[in-house]
Amino acid sequence: MNQADWKNKLALIRDGFLSGLAKTDAAGLAELETRHLGRKGDLTLLLRELKDFPIEERKVLGALGNALKEELAAKLDERKAGAGAVDLKKSQFDLTMAGYPFPKGSLHPLTLTINKMYDGFQKLGFTIAEGPLIEEDYFNFEALNFPPDHPARDMQDTFYVDLKDASGKDLLLRTHTSPVQIRTMKSLRPPLRTVSAGRVFRSEAVDASHSFAFHQLEGFCLDRNITMADLKWTLEAFMQDLFGSSAKIAFSPSFFPFVEPGAQVAVSCVFCGSGAGPEQSRRACPVCKGTGWIELLGAGVIHPNVIKACGYDPIDWSGFAFGAGIERFAMLLYGIKDMRMFYENDLRILKQL
Amino acid sequence: MKILHSWLTDYIDAPPGVEDLVAKLTRLGFNIEEIKKTGVSFTGVSVGQILKIEKHPNADKLSLCEVNDGAGVMRVVCGAKNIAVGQKIPFARAGAELSEGVLKKARIRGVDSEGMICSAAELGLEGYDSSGILVLPDSAPVGVDAKTLFPKADHVFEVEITPNLAYCLSHYALARELSVFYGLALKKPAVCETSAPDKGIAGITIEAPELCRRYAGVVVRNAAAATPDWMAARLRAVGVNPKGTLLIDVSNYVMYELGQPIHCFDLHNLSGPEIRVRTAFPGETMKTLDSQDLKLSEDMLVIADKSVPVALAGVMGGMGSAVSDSTKDILIESACFAPASIRRTSKKTGLKSESSYRFERGIDPELQLYAALRLARLVLDCAPGAKVEQITDNYPLKHVPVTIEVSAERINAILGTKIPEKDIFSCLKAIQPELSDGKPFDFAQGKPWRFSVPGYRRDIESIWDIAEEAARYIGYDAIPSASKMPMMRASTAPSFEVAAELKGRLAGLGFSEVYNYDFISLKDFRNCLLNEEEAVSLKNPLSAEFQFLRTAMVAGVLKTLSYNLNRGRNSVSVFEVGNIFKKTKNSHSEETMCAGLMFGAFPDSEFWRGGGASADFYHLKGVMNSGFSGCGGFRFEKAKEPPAYFHPGACLEMRLGNAHAGYLGLLNPMVARNSDLKDNQIYYFELPLKVLVAAHEPEFWQRAPQVKAVSAFPNIWRDLSVVLEDKFEWAEIEAAIAKAPDLSSVKLVDVYKGKNIGENLKSVTIRFTFSSMEKTLTDAEINAHINAILLKLSLNFGAKLRA
Repeated sequence: MNQADWKNKLALIRDGFLSGLAKTDAAGLAELETRHLGRKGDLTLLLRELKDFPIEERKVLGALGNALKEELAAKLDERKAGAGAVDLKKSQFDLTMAGYPFPKGSLHPLTLTINKMYDGFQKLGFTIAEGPLIEEDYFNFEALNFPPDHPARDMQDTFYVDLKDASGKDLLLRTHTSPVQIRTMKSLRPPLRTVSAGRVFRSEAVDASHSFAFHQLEGFCLDRNITMADLKWTLEAFMQDLFGSSAKIAFSPSFFPFVEPGAQVAVSCVFCGSGAGPEQSRRACPVCKGTGWIELLGAGVIHPNVIKACGYDPIDWSGFAFGAGIERFAMLLYGIKDMRMFYENDLRILKQL
Repeated sequence: MKILHSWLTDYIDAPPGVEDLVAKLTRLGFNIEEIKKTGVSFTGVSVGQILKIEKHPNADKLSLCEVNDGAGVMRVVCGAKNIAVGQKIPFARAGAELSEGVLKKARIRGVDSEGMICSAAELGLEGYDSSGILVLPDSAPVGVDAKTLFPKADHVFEVEITPNLAYCLSHYALARELSVFYGLALKKPAVCETSAPDKGIAGITIEAPELCRRYAGVVVRNAAAATPDWMAARLRAVGVNPKGTLLIDVSNYVMYELGQPIHCFDLHNLSGPEIRVRTAFPGETMKTLDSQDLKLSEDMLVIADKSVPVALAGVMGGMGSAVSDSTKDILIESACFAPASIRRTSKKTGLKSESSYRFERGIDPELQLYAALRLARLVLDCAPGAKVEQITDNYPLKHVPVTIEVSAERINAILGTKIPEKDIFSCLKAIQPELSDGKPFDFAQGKPWRFSVPGYRRDIESIWDIAEEAARYIGYDAIPSASKMPMMRASTAPSFEVAAELKGRLAGLGFSEVYNYDFISLKDFRNCLLNEEEAVSLKNPLSAEFQFLRTAMVAGVLKTLSYNLNRGRNSVSVFEVGNIFKKTKNSHSEETMCAGLMFGAFPDSEFWRGGGASADFYHLKGVMNSGFSGCGGFRFEKAKEPPAYFHPGACLEMRLGNAHAGYLGLLNPMVARNSDLKDNQIYYFELPLKVLVAAHEPEFWQRAPQVKAVSAFPNIWRDLSVVLEDKFEWAEIEAAIAKAPDLSSVKLVDVYKGKNIGENLKSVTIRFTFSSMEKTLTDAEINAHINAILLKLSLNFGAKLRA
């Protein structure tokens, strides 16, 4: 062994000691002392090897070695007196006691659902728009192809208020979010892709699945060469955002005055695997009632009369529109069984969210 | 609409079974809301007669009966009490299929029973007493299959028919739809083929052809008869109570069969006899069939005889001219009225009928004469002596078929499909292609097709309707899920973004979001000291509880508080974002507000180390402080004229820049008391969102909060306790000293009032933090600053250093 080797070994011992010291608790200190400074400790052994070196070198290296020996001893003493007293085997806490009850608030399930739905449509390029709850007959009905004296108006029992619009017609509480579609088309130029959620009103008695106030999400697109296939793709992409990438959608014929062709939109039931699971569990599925499908939206190609009412030529411009009850989504997502819960505001329930 | 399966399939050859039919209708856009089984479906039960009754040897409550069921005499055990010798009863042999399953031979208490005497429930019959066995009429012949005594097994569908499919509001029309789409052969109901003069007995004049484009009238004499059982049964199945008199029931029957509302007049009750279709004269009245005296207005279409209105056209018949049990001679009215006019009249009078329902939705103008002759045919079939004496078809406004030009390309462009031209053409069977020069359509030419729409399809007006028709035929599944829409940049609405951010902050500070109704009651207005004169009122409220639109959020959140206190909570921190509505001079305002309250224990759950408090004014002020520091923070001022539901002495106005940004404070104790919340201290706040939205208006990069540099040198803090008069408010004190040099913050850390201090005095401890951007401050410098501050406090407020 030459001088350089010896110095190297000395440096390694120092490193070994320091890293050991950093990791060890009180119980480990004695072991650390034995390993490095004990009778058979590596530093002790290294110092013994000095006897083979020439006297001049022995003096220099011996001084280095003894200095380290003192340094390590001092560090051990320091730890034994101070930080070394920490006993990592014992805790001063009863770790099972409750943490401080920082006040925990919550967002309403309908807000959470709206946020989630908005998220899904924003990813697809839909801009958020909002509209008033007190509406004019024109925006709520007429421009949406519900002519006056048309029986389609009976599909939506309307609340009227003691106010009149400029043409002398009673103002009403909007029965759907579709008036936002008209307001948007009239105030902005296409191409447009808009989604709007909010409260709507219909004069219906309240029960587990009905309410005179509820929430809808409405969306539409107005552009060139828009087709029903675009609509299907958009809604499928949205549903997959919400229910996973295996979700599928199905259209069936339906009627809403402001679309033609109109469709009822169902999503494959993710709760029972849409028939992918065992027959038995599908039949018993409380969500889709064994059909494998959950009806969630109404949709269609925007009716040419609506496009005309907003001042565009329905041959040049085309679009699609869709609408859904937000409560229905919230009930599915959060396992809520009764629509009345949304307005009861029971904190025992709300604080779970 | 109720559809009876057997009635519907009358018109279809090789009719589909129930499940198949449901699938077919659903695929076409008819939603089946309910399927109800009717009639009987048992087998193996015949009419039997009880010959002998003995007691069961081993059971007190059972009897042994001998029954002759035509095929032999059988011994059965029976538990019913209402049995008697000689009775005719339904007797089931082993192997019979009953409502509970297949009947097996049984040994009951040691005696063999070779069959069963059935109750109504065991036969699956509804509407009978099932406490004992079913006793059949004495006239029932022994040995006959008991099934023949009851209506056949059938199904009634509750079909939802949307306004666009109103042309299917009858059994025949729905059958026609199925036949068109599924290629099933259609059988048309037979009509009366006899000819008769078109005038002579009753004159028919249409004075308002724009409201009545067609009026077919048929006179039948000597037509009295009872309603046949089959017709009565069908009417019952679709929800109509048959009267038993043919001339009353048959018009309903034809309406449910063909969709054409028909009214029959007793010929002898018509003065003239003649019919005038006209609008009502001013001041005219009419007594309706349900004996209401109706005031008519000039826009209402009536059917009048020579002198008075005898029916409110398309809505309801009149009392005086109605068919009765004794009617022999009738005038059949089968007309086509304008939908909007019928709807207006129905709304105005509040009268609704199956007839007005169909007219509102539009009737095929080609149907009237056919329907009248169908009714005549049914009358002739049921009343052998009846004779048709006049057939008039007054049709001033002829139906002109709608013609639509469309190409396959156009339909594919709407649907996003690539369906070959021939396939699309072949699915448009319901609308007849107009052939050029009488030759079949030549696809090679690629010219657009011209379609002529039949009269009953009032829903088809444009190429979009034809596209839907094609899609319904091919199936919506043929539309692919595929898009070439270009990318588009999405943005958000500032009003939504602000509300979302606000909600997130409040939830983070321990508040739960609630949703209340927008409707409140007059009582709510009074309880919350709101001004009801500003209120927008509903014209048709569901109840007094929901009469007005809220002009403030307070009533709703207080309801939330009560609801939760009543369920045992001791701490409620909630908020709501919603709209309030007020009447204004010209119209009304609608504004989005955020409101909330804090009440009870804070934090809301016990902690083992204690330290809990009751939420108070300063908690809520703290929420408003930390919740909105992001937008620059609110300035708080004592509210000069807070809303009445605040305690006027404990309310702060919040301001953002120069704009009013809401109030926070103690709820007026009167409001708490009125709302059954006793003397509870409730801390309430409200913010109009528009101020926050306005602050949000600039682009994000313009309004992003800008970071200020902090000192690289150590901060030095000093506490100062001074005694001064209680009347001085913290804001004054703070304002006086806040400008001291090198001062980076001033915090009030303690306030003490009490014996050691003296009356009307208080001790305040203020923590000063000093720092400099340039250097480490020396003790001497700090002492000089503190002395200057002390001097200011003593000059301005007479403050003395606390010993």
